[in-house]
Amino acid sequence: MTAALTGDPATVPAAAPPTALRRALPLLAAPVAFFVAFFAVPMVVVLSSSLMAGGAPSLANYARVLLDQYHWDVLAVTFRIAALTTLAVTLLGYPLAYYLVRVVSSNALRRGCVILLLLPLFTSNIVRSFGWMILLGRNGLVNDTLVGIGLLERPIRFLGTETGIVIGLVYILLPFIVLAVGNALATVDPTLEEASADLGSSPFTTFWTVTFPLCLPGLIAGVIMVFTLAASAYVTPALLSGGKITVFPMLIFQQYSTVFDVHYGGALSITLLVFTLVLVALAGRIGNGGGNRS
Amino acid sequence: MPPALLSIRDLGKRFGGFHALKGVSLEVEHGEFIALLGPSGCGKTTLLRCIAGFLTPDSGDIRIGGDSVTRLPPHRRPLNTVFQNYALFPHMSVLDNIAYGPRRHGVPRGEAAERAAQALQLVGLEALGARYPRELSGGQQQRVALARAVVNRPKLLLLDEPLSALDMKLRKRMQIELKHLQEKLGIAFVFVTHDQEEAMSMADRIVVMNRGLIEQVGSGTAVYATPATRFVAEFIGEANFLPGAADGDGGLRLAFGTAAVPYSGPHPAPGPGTGAGGSRTGVLRPEHLELLDRADAPGFLTERGIVEDVINTGGQTLVMVRVGDALLASRRLGMPGAGLGRGTQVVVGFRPEHLHVVAGEPVP
Repeated sequence: MTAALTGDPATVPAAAPPTALRRALPLLAAPVAFFVAFFAVPMVVVLSSSLMAGGAPSLANYARVLLDQYHWDVLAVTFRIAALTTLAVTLLGYPLAYYLVRVVSSNALRRGCVILLLLPLFTSNIVRSFGWMILLGRNGLVNDTLVGIGLLERPIRFLGTETGIVIGLVYILLPFIVLAVGNALATVDPTLEEASADLGSSPFTTFWTVTFPLCLPGLIAGVIMVFTLAASAYVTPALLSGGKITVFPMLIFQQYSTVFDVHYGGALSITLLVFTLVLVALAGRIGNGGGNRS
Repeated sequence: MPPALLSIRDLGKRFGGFHALKGVSLEVEHGEFIALLGPSGCGKTTLLRCIAGFLTPDSGDIRIGGDSVTRLPPHRRPLNTVFQNYALFPHMSVLDNIAYGPRRHGVPRGEAAERAAQALQLVGLEALGARYPRELSGGQQQRVALARAVVNRPKLLLLDEPLSALDMKLRKRMQIELKHLQEKLGIAFVFVTHDQEEAMSMADRIVVMNRGLIEQVGSGTAVYATPATRFVAEFIGEANFLPGAADGDGGLRLAFGTAAVPYSGPHPAPGPGTGAGGSRTGVLRPEHLELLDRADAPGFLTERGIVEDVINTGGQTLVMVRVGDALLASRRLGMPGAGLGRGTQVVVGFRPEHLHVVAGEPVP
């Protein structure tokens, strides 16, 4: 403030930081370089190429994306699959995380369960999705079992349906929400739950008034992660769609790998990115709306 | 006679191989201030958690107002708890924290808020209702935790070392405030602490616990002046121990320097606690061991000794005197006088009526 008034903004604030900054610079260099090289630059490349058409700056690519009803339909399918996947993963993952963190009392058993949960992440997405193709086929294990125990009269079609894609994505994304919620649950002090019981809350009320609100940030983080991963997933939808369903990442992939139209592909990418960010921001807003904490 | 507010019968609890409670019985009357005192691991917190319902005892019975609550979950028990770390809900304002209990008991929102505001006023924080717990100091959080408990108007309040996280000055002030609040509200307090001074200054009765058993229940004066066991004598305050043995005539002889002092006052009979040799121990508080100017002071048993240390403890002086093999402590008011230093020859003595005898050998 004083420096600004005397017209010499550099002296006062600059006195201390340079040495600190100089010391921090070598430490910062690697992450900054990594971020610039692998996040900022590709983003700029995609964005700038999407704004070019016929060698000149233009919004033509975006017009082509946004004025075509087909793209809106694909976008709707993509986000519907992502939303259903997120819902299913949350409904499965939250109780699982609660069970692992709060119910399992043996550390060895908990560790075993977490390893079991993470183990599939060590294999490729493609392999796992192929696995589901076999399991979900007309004569696959799932249909055979359901028919065998009499739940179904005839096999139902999973491959080439949104249900099939959702099943595949749920399987792949479940660990993410379990880890996010599990971490949040583990940081909730059990004495808070005791205090709630002491003040007259049944276990059910304690869960909804204390435990759930306190691990909501972790749940939201998990939900956002799962939703964005589901919306941008390519391999699983591509393999399980049987060519009958198209999601947005498949359109992008086509443009880049088959048509080689990086301008149009870039516009598609940016469109998916923007819509995903908008939805995630809305989710974050809803999550924070519950308790307006300073 | 109406049943006691809280009645505990023969409570036992094991954690794996650790026997935390080995048959504890205790009665607490309406409006009483009880301190559960003992070293860590003595079972005092386990006992409190059994009363609150967070632990289920392996054996025994807990009754509140005559009704057994042993099998009731915590939320069905007519009592409240102040936790050691306060356990305030971080996602609720101070006022919402306090209104939480009344809301769970079906009090309408408006009335609950009103009662919360009153409780907040009771602990002197009426201006802070809109704050969140993390915006409060430790002492303020402590008061909010107290308000959150007493707003439910329980007849019994359990407090688990509630002052242990506060600094000494604040702690002393909160001790006085807590005691006043307890008297004003007429709620029975069961207060867990490992700080004997805290127990002494606040409680009507002190329950001294050790290794899962109650060693003594009594007023602060009683546990200090007439400790029931060697452990109590050792744990409460400081004490000189004079080893003693039966003299064959039903009396005792206690070693004081080179002398064997005959003692025929009240003392525990030889039994399981006295060991194979039937040993008993004389307990003499440092303030009762006096430095005298002559060896034949009337009414005193005296011995000669040599000063080993003079410690000024601020307002009081502790003089460590070597008498024979024993190093005895003598405490008196005032600053250390001139001419009293290491190596000074002195006469120490005590009045026999200040001696109290417990079973067992002195701890080395």
